[in-house]
Amino acid sequence: MDDFFTISLLVATLRTATPLIFAALGGLLSERSGVVNIGLEGLMLVGAFMAATGAHYAGDPFVGLAIGVGAATLAAVIHAVWCITLRGDQVVAGTAINLLGLSIPAFLTQRLFDTAGRTPTIDRLPTIGRGLNVLVPVAFLLVPIVWYLLFRTKPGLRVMAAGEDPRATESVGINVARYRYACVLASGALAGLGGAVLSIGDLSFYTSNMTQGRGFIALAAVIFGNWSPLGTLAATLLFGGAQAIQIQAQTTGLPISTDVLIALPYVLTLIAITGLFRNSLPPAGLGRHPTTG
Amino acid sequence: MSDANTTPQVPATNRSPIGATTRRTVLKGAAAAAALATLGVKLPRAAAQDGPTVIIVTDTAGLGDQNFNDLANAGLQRAGAELGVTTDVLESQDAADYEVNLQEAADRADLTVAVGFLLTDAVNATAPQFPDRSFLLIDDVAEQENVQSVTFKEHEAAFLAGVVAALTTKTNSVGVVGGQEIPPVVRYEVGFTAGVQSAKSGVNVAVVYAESFGDPALGKELTLAQYNNGADIVFPVAGATGIGSFEAAVELGGGRYVIAADTDQSQLGADVQLCVVNKGVDVAVFDGAQQVVEGNFEAGARALGLAENGVDLTDPGDNVAPEVLEVAARYKAAIIAGDIVVPFDRDTAAAFQPVPAPEGTPGASPAASPAATPSS
Repeated sequence: MDDFFTISLLVATLRTATPLIFAALGGLLSERSGVVNIGLEGLMLVGAFMAATGAHYAGDPFVGLAIGVGAATLAAVIHAVWCITLRGDQVVAGTAINLLGLSIPAFLTQRLFDTAGRTPTIDRLPTIGRGLNVLVPVAFLLVPIVWYLLFRTKPGLRVMAAGEDPRATESVGINVARYRYACVLASGALAGLGGAVLSIGDLSFYTSNMTQGRGFIALAAVIFGNWSPLGTLAATLLFGGAQAIQIQAQTTGLPISTDVLIALPYVLTLIAITGLFRNSLPPAGLGRHPTTG
Repeated sequence: MSDANTTPQVPATNRSPIGATTRRTVLKGAAAAAALATLGVKLPRAAAQDGPTVIIVTDTAGLGDQNFNDLANAGLQRAGAELGVTTDVLESQDAADYEVNLQEAADRADLTVAVGFLLTDAVNATAPQFPDRSFLLIDDVAEQENVQSVTFKEHEAAFLAGVVAALTTKTNSVGVVGGQEIPPVVRYEVGFTAGVQSAKSGVNVAVVYAESFGDPALGKELTLAQYNNGADIVFPVAGATGIGSFEAAVELGGGRYVIAADTDQSQLGADVQLCVVNKGVDVAVFDGAQQVVEGNFEAGARALGLAENGVDLTDPGDNVAPEVLEVAARYKAAIIAGDIVVPFDRDTAAAFQPVPAPEGTPGASPAASPAATPSS
C-alpha cells in the first residue's frame, strides 16, 4: 500500500486518457457545429488500422500516422456528406461509420496480410520517456488550442453559432454547411489520431476492434464535460485516472471485488453525468438543419 | 521439440485465407457488402467442393487474437488442407452475434464449431433447431443430442507452468492477467496458482482481470502494473488482450517474462516467452472435422487433460533451467498418476494444500513428451 500512488499511476492515467482526449475533442468540434457524431468509435478504428498499415508499408510510423489521420478524415467525409449535404439521419450515419470501422479492417487485413484481424508488428512512434509516446503531450496541447479556436476566433464563434441556431446563422449570410464540413472532417482527423495512439503509439500493431468502446467513452466525456474543451479534458482524465486506480488496486490485491473495481471508471462517469452536471446542455441546434429549423 | 503434444500448427503468417469472411447481422453484413462494393473488390468465396463443410464461429475476440480463436482456425485450415473439407469462419463482433452466426453456419455447414465458453447459451438455443447438423462446442458442455462438447483440463498444464514460474522468478512475485472470469480462465488461474504455491512457498501471485478478451492496450497497462509492482513473470490468459502483455515485457525487458496460454506466441517476442501452456483446441477442431468426414461423429462430452495429451507444458525457452523442467516433469507424472488433484475452481482452490515436489526418477521432460492427439 505504501507505493500505491506512484508515478506509474500518473503515467498510466496519461496513457489511458490520451486516445480519449483526441477522440473527445473531435466529437466536441462536430457537436459544437451542430452535427451529432456517434461514429467516433468507427473513425478511431479506421485511424488505428490505417496508421498501422501505413507504418508497415512505409516503414516509418510518422508516415503511418499521416495515413491513419488522412483515412479517418476521408471516412468522416462520408458522415459529412450524409448528414450535411444529404440531410440524412445523423445517428444512423454514425452507426454506419462504426460498422465500416469494424468491417473494412477485418476485410483488408485478410486481403493485404493474409491474416485475419490484425496487421504485422510495426515500429512504434518514439517515446518521450516513461513509456509515454510523442502524441501524449500533443493531446494535452490541443485542448487549449481547441478552446482558443472555438471561443476566441471569428470562425470558432461562427461554428458555435451554427451549432446553436443554424437558421439564424444562415440568415446573416454565414455558410453553415461549410463550417459544419470543416468540423466533421476535423473530428475525423482527431478521432483518427486517437486510434493511431493505440495502434502505433501504445502498441505496435492493429488488431480487430482494438478500441473496445473508447469512442463511446469519448462521446460520454464530451457530454460530461458540458461540450467545453476543459470540461472534456477533465472527464477523460477522470476516466483515465479511475482506470489506472482500478488496475493498481487489482494488482496490489486490495480486498475489494474485482467486478466493483473494473466497473469503477464507468460508474464514476455515470455518476458524473447524472449527478454533478445536471445543467449539462447540448448545443441547441444539434441535429438540426438550417432550412428545416 | 516444440508442440510435442499437438500436431504442427499452421504458422500464423502463412494461414490460408479460404473463405475467412466476416459476417454479422444482416444489417451489418449489408453495410460491409456496400463497403466492399465501393472498393471494387470481391468477397473470397468458398470453393465448391464435394466434401462436407465445416464452419467455425469465433467469440468476440475474433481472428487475429494470435491465441484461442486463431488456434481454432489453425485446426480448421488444417482440416481444409488435409481432409478437403470446405471451410469458413464467421466472426462475432458482440454477444448478440453468437446465435445469428451459429444459425447461419448451421444452415450451410455439416459441422458448426462454436469457439468458446461464451457461446454455450447460443449453442443450446441453436442446436435443437438443426437436428440434422452437427455441432462442436469448445470449452463448455452443452447437453444436446447433436453437440460434441470438448473441455480441457487447463488447470493441469497451468499447474506445471506455475511450478516453472515459481522456480524461475527472481523477485518471488508473479502475476496472472485474466480475460474474463469464466470457468476455462479460472481453471488456468487456480491451476497456475496451485503450482506456484506447491513448488516454492512465499511467492506472491497477483491476479488481475481485464474483463475483455479483445483489449490489448488494457492488457499492456495491466501487465505494466504487474511488472512495476515487482512481478517478473506474467501469465496472460486473455486472448488478444494478452498480446499487450508481450508488448509490455518486450518494452521493459530486463528479465521480465511472459508465459503464453493456449498456443506458442513466440512471434510476439521469442526472448520474453518463458514457456507455453498448450491447449489442443486446433486438434479438437481437426478431430471433429475428421469424424464428420469419416461419418463417426459422436455427440457427448470429452474432457482432455495431461493424460490425454489435450493440454501440456511446451516450448520452454532458454530461460528455463533444465532442473526446473525436471521438477515439472515429476509433477506431471504425479498428476497423470492421480497422486495430485489440481484445483479447477474457486472452491477446490480454497481447499488445496500445496504439494511438495514428488521424489523419484523423473520421467520425460514435458517438452519431450511423446506426440499424440487427444483420444476420445
